[in-house]
Amino acid sequence: MEEETKTSRRSFLSLATWAIGGLISAGMGIPAIAYIIGPALKRAEAEEWIRLGSVAKVELNAPTLFKVKIERQTGWIVNETDLSFYVLTENGRDFVAMSNICTHLGCRVRWIADQEQFFCPCHNAAFSKDGSVAAGPPPRPLDRYQVKVEDEQLYVLGG
Amino acid sequence: MSTRLGNWLDERVAWRQVWSAIFLRQVPKTNWLYTLGSASLFLAINQIVTGILLTIYYVPTPDHAYDSVQYITTQVTMGWLIRGLHHWGASAMVVVVGLHMLRVIFHGAYKFPREVTWFTGVFLLLIVIAFGFSGYLLPWDQKAYWATTVGTSIAGTPPLIGDVVLRIVRGGEELSAITLARFFGVHVWVLPITLLILIGVHLYLVIRIGISAVPKREE
Repeated sequence: MEEETKTSRRSFLSLATWAIGGLISAGMGIPAIAYIIGPALKRAEAEEWIRLGSVAKVELNAPTLFKVKIERQTGWIVNETDLSFYVLTENGRDFVAMSNICTHLGCRVRWIADQEQFFCPCHNAAFSKDGSVAAGPPPRPLDRYQVKVEDEQLYVLGG
Repeated sequence: MSTRLGNWLDERVAWRQVWSAIFLRQVPKTNWLYTLGSASLFLAINQIVTGILLTIYYVPTPDHAYDSVQYITTQVTMGWLIRGLHHWGASAMVVVVGLHMLRVIFHGAYKFPREVTWFTGVFLLLIVIAFGFSGYLLPWDQKAYWATTVGTSIAGTPPLIGDVVLRIVRGGEELSAITLARFFGVHVWVLPITLLILIGVHLYLVIRIGISAVPKREE
């Protein structure tokens, strides 16, 4: 009888030691994993309305370039990034905002007024005035942004 | 299955012998004060794990040290916990190691044949204090900067060699990027390696010689 209680006490303590050890390891290990993968799981910062400038600057029937600086944070470092948008209007009321980044490999496109086309210098791609592909390798038209006008100021939704 | 794997491995590496030497050894009747050594080891493991995790985000330059520590504390998932464990673990380490030493003194456990265990223990205490001192600078906030300015100035007090020693500790006349970088290097490379070697010797001797019993009144 006594023999039996001895062994059960021993095995109980052994089990308790493993259980507490496991608990502590889990208490350390799970936060450690969360800590390591945390930044990878963070979504890119939510899109926000970026002010481009006065609507009066947009020329009729010709894509107008707007350049803005926005702040982007990676980790603890804040960088200023330059963003450019081409804004097109046909009637002065409805606006289309397009990215100036070629959908092929990310070079910057430029509006050539003489030819009425956007031109990408990297692989001679061309986009027509509304951003659709006119020539070359791009797989899709220029990206568009949602636009709003408030107090005669033009905003695009991006980030 | 696990028994068969255990046997297979035991035949080749004799792990059961090692296991029983470490965990199934004979010990005299002891009390709770005898757990302070294990508590120190536990805290050391905590410091190593959380310290390694902190280096994933921490950057030891004046430009980034403060911001990266703030980033860990406020932005990274569980970062507050990892930093908190390292921060409080450091203080607990100094306290527990100090108590462990007092227990050894009061029980006379440093005597023959355990003198070498005692010597390594004294060095381990110094290592722990050096850890605390070098780690204190790393957050690079006002408290860290001025505490280290004052702390290192002590190195400048001995006559003749004081100035040179102070310049070597700071890596120049004043606290700078060089000081921060060398404190970081000492904190994450020099001290941990020394600590692990000394803990190895310390524990080998504890197991090799066995622990001393509580001294009796009539002895």
